[in-house]
Amino acid sequence: MLVCCSLFLAYPVSEAAFSESDQACLGCHSMEQHKTLGNGETLSLKVNPAEIEKSVHGIIGCTACHGFTANDHPQKTYKSKKEYRAIAARRCSTCHSPRDNKIHEKIISKDSSKTICTDCHGAHSVRRVSELSKGNQYCLACHKWEISIHFANGANETAQVQESTLKESVHKNLSCVDCHVRVYSELHPVREFKNRRDFSQLMAENFKRCHFDKYTRTLEGIHFKVATQGNTKAPLCTDCHGTHGIASAQKDKLANAKKCEQCHAGIYAIYAQSVHGAALIKEHIEDVPVCSDCHKAHDNEGPHTANFRITVPQICAGCHSQKEIMSKYGLSTRVVETYLQDFHGVTMKFYKQYGQAEKKIAVCIDCHGVHDIIKVKSEDAAVVKQNLTKRCQKCHPGATTNFPDSWISHYEPNFKKASLVFLIDWGYRLFIPFMIIGLLVQIVLHLWRYAVNR
Amino acid sequence: MKEPELEQIRRFGKLRIAEHWLNAGTFILLVITGLSQKFHDYYFSQWIIMMLGGIDATRLIHRYSGVALALLTLNHVLVASFGVMFLKWQPSMVIHLKDFRDAIDNIRYYLGLSDHPARCDRFDYKQKFEYWGVVIGGMLMVATGAMLWFPIMVTQVLPGQFIPVAKALHTNEALLAFLVIIIWHIYNAIFSPEVIPIDTVIFTGRISRHRMMHEHPLEYERMFGPIQPSDQPPAETDESTKQPTATIT
Repeated sequence: MLVCCSLFLAYPVSEAAFSESDQACLGCHSMEQHKTLGNGETLSLKVNPAEIEKSVHGIIGCTACHGFTANDHPQKTYKSKKEYRAIAARRCSTCHSPRDNKIHEKIISKDSSKTICTDCHGAHSVRRVSELSKGNQYCLACHKWEISIHFANGANETAQVQESTLKESVHKNLSCVDCHVRVYSELHPVREFKNRRDFSQLMAENFKRCHFDKYTRTLEGIHFKVATQGNTKAPLCTDCHGTHGIASAQKDKLANAKKCEQCHAGIYAIYAQSVHGAALIKEHIEDVPVCSDCHKAHDNEGPHTANFRITVPQICAGCHSQKEIMSKYGLSTRVVETYLQDFHGVTMKFYKQYGQAEKKIAVCIDCHGVHDIIKVKSEDAAVVKQNLTKRCQKCHPGATTNFPDSWISHYEPNFKKASLVFLIDWGYRLFIPFMIIGLLVQIVLHLWRYAVNR
Repeated sequence: MKEPELEQIRRFGKLRIAEHWLNAGTFILLVITGLSQKFHDYYFSQWIIMMLGGIDATRLIHRYSGVALALLTLNHVLVASFGVMFLKWQPSMVIHLKDFRDAIDNIRYYLGLSDHPARCDRFDYKQKFEYWGVVIGGMLMVATGAMLWFPIMVTQVLPGQFIPVAKALHTNEALLAFLVIIIWHIYNAIFSPEVIPIDTVIFTGRISRHRMMHEHPLEYERMFGPIQPSDQPPAETDESTKQPTATIT
C-alpha cells in the first residue's frame, strides 16, 4: 500500500480529471506491469489515463465497472485473456441492456459467452458509437473483429472486413452504406438468409444503383438467362469483381481469366495450353485475349448461338488485323482479308449480310480451334496437318490429307508459295490486256477502214 | 435471178441455230452468276446475288448452268466428230495456216497496205477464233469448275494444290471469255457497220447471197462458181455496196 501511494504521488495525473478513488487505482495501474495468466498469456495491467479521460466512461470511475476500489482489490487469477475479458464485460449489462439494439440481441443470443462487449467497443477507451461513425469506422467498429454471420442452413461465414482491403479497392472512397443500402447507422437490420448465396444475390442487386449500364447489359447475357432459369451458380457481379477488395477489371488479365476458371475450369485448362493462354500464363504477354475479350463480359450471349458464330472472324480480326500487335510476333495482318476473299469467307459474308447466320460455314475457329488454338507454324508440321484434316472432315466427310492443301493458308500466292497459282494469275494478268487491246485495235482499224472507204 | 442482196442462201440448220441459242443462254447465266461471285465486293454483284436468292442459290444456278455447258460442249464435240467421220461433213472449223495469213492480210488491208481484204472460206479467222475459244475455253471451264465443285473427290487422287490452281484458271479464264465475248463477239455480231443493227444469220440460218460473196467468197465460189462482176449490185444503191469490193476477180 505504501508503495502504491508513493507511486501515486510520483505520477502526474491531472487532479481535476479523476476522482480520488480513481487516482488511487491509477497510482498503480498507470505503471507498466503484467500478470501471467493460467494459460501462460501475459495480461498487461497498465491503463492509459489519457484514454480514460477521452472515454465516454471517464466520469463514472473505475469502480463503476470493476466493482471494487483500491482498498478492496481482490486477488484473482484467470485462465486466459479471453476469460478475463468475458467476465469483466459482464458488468456492461448492468447499465446497457442488449435489448436496446436488435443486432446486439441477436449476437448475444447466439452465444453470450463468446460475445464480449469490449471487443468491439473497447474497454478503457470506450466511446460513444456516434463518435466512431466517421466514414467506415462506425461499421468497422464491429466488423473489423472476427464476427460471423449465421445462415439458416447452419453455415457460419465470417463478417469480418479488413480495413486494408477496403483501402486498396477501387471503391475506397465509398462508404459501407453505399453498397449495404439497407443498413443505416442507427439501425442494423437483423435478417435471416438461407445460405451465403442468398445473401450474395441480394447484395449483388445493389450494384445496379451505380452500374446500371452494366446491369442492363447482363440482361442480354447467358449468365442472366441461366440465373432466371433458377441456376443459383450463375455468376453475380461479386463473383467476378469481388466484394470489399473490388479491383478494376482491366488491370490484370490473368486475374480476369481466373475469375472465369472458378466455374469453367475445364475450358480454362485447355486455354492455358493454347498459344494464347500459354503466352499469358507463362510469358506474361498481355496482348493475348482472355475469356472476356472474345466472349464479352456482361453481355456474353454464349458461344452456341448462330449469331456468335458468325461474328467470330470479326472477333479474331480485332487483334489479328492490327499491325502494332501482330508485328511484335511476326504474324500476318492479312489473315482475315484472305479469309474473306476465299470460298468460306465469301459465303460467311453473304450469310451475315442477308441474316442467314443459322447456316453454317467455316469461320476461324473451325480450322484453328477455339480454346485449344495452337501455333500454325509449329515445329511439327505433320501434326498440324493431321489436326487440320480432322477439322476439315467435320464438314467435308471423306477429306484426305491432301485436302487441307487446297487452301493456301492465308497466303497471297507468291513465287515460293503456290507458285503455279501465282504464275497463272500473272499469265492472265498479262494475257487478258494483250488480248483485249489486240481485239480493240482490230475493231478500231476495221471502223477506220470502213469510214475511209465510204 | 433475184437481186443478190435479197436472195438468201441457207447457211445453218435448225440444230445449229438451237445450239447457238442454248450456248448463249447458258453463257449469260454463267456470266451473271459467276462474275457476281468473282466480284463479290461490289454492290452490284451483291444485288444480283440477293435477287437470285442468296449465295447458295447463285452457286446452285452457276453449277447447273455449268452442267448444261458441259453437256452442250460434249454434244457438240460428239456430233461434229460423227459428222466429219461418217457423214462427210467438211471440217470447216479446222485452223489452217491460211487463217493466220488472212488475219495479217486483213490488217494490211485496214491499214491501206493492201487493196483487198482476205478472201475467206465458210468460216473466217475471226469466227474460228471465237469458235475455238468457246470450245477449248468451255472445256477448261467445265474441267476446273467440276474440280471446284468436288474438291474432296479431286484431292483423293490429286494433290490439294490443284484446287487453288483450278480456281485461278477458272476465274481468270472466265474474265477473259467474258471480255472477248462482250467486246469482240458483240462488236462483230451487232455493232460492226456491216451487220448493224444485228447479224441475223445465226437466228434465221440464212445469209444473203451478197454478204456471202463478200464474207465467204471461197465457199461461194465452191457452191456457185466464180463470182462474176455482174453478180455485184450497182454501186451506191445499198448500204452493203459501200463495202470494199475489190475482191472481184
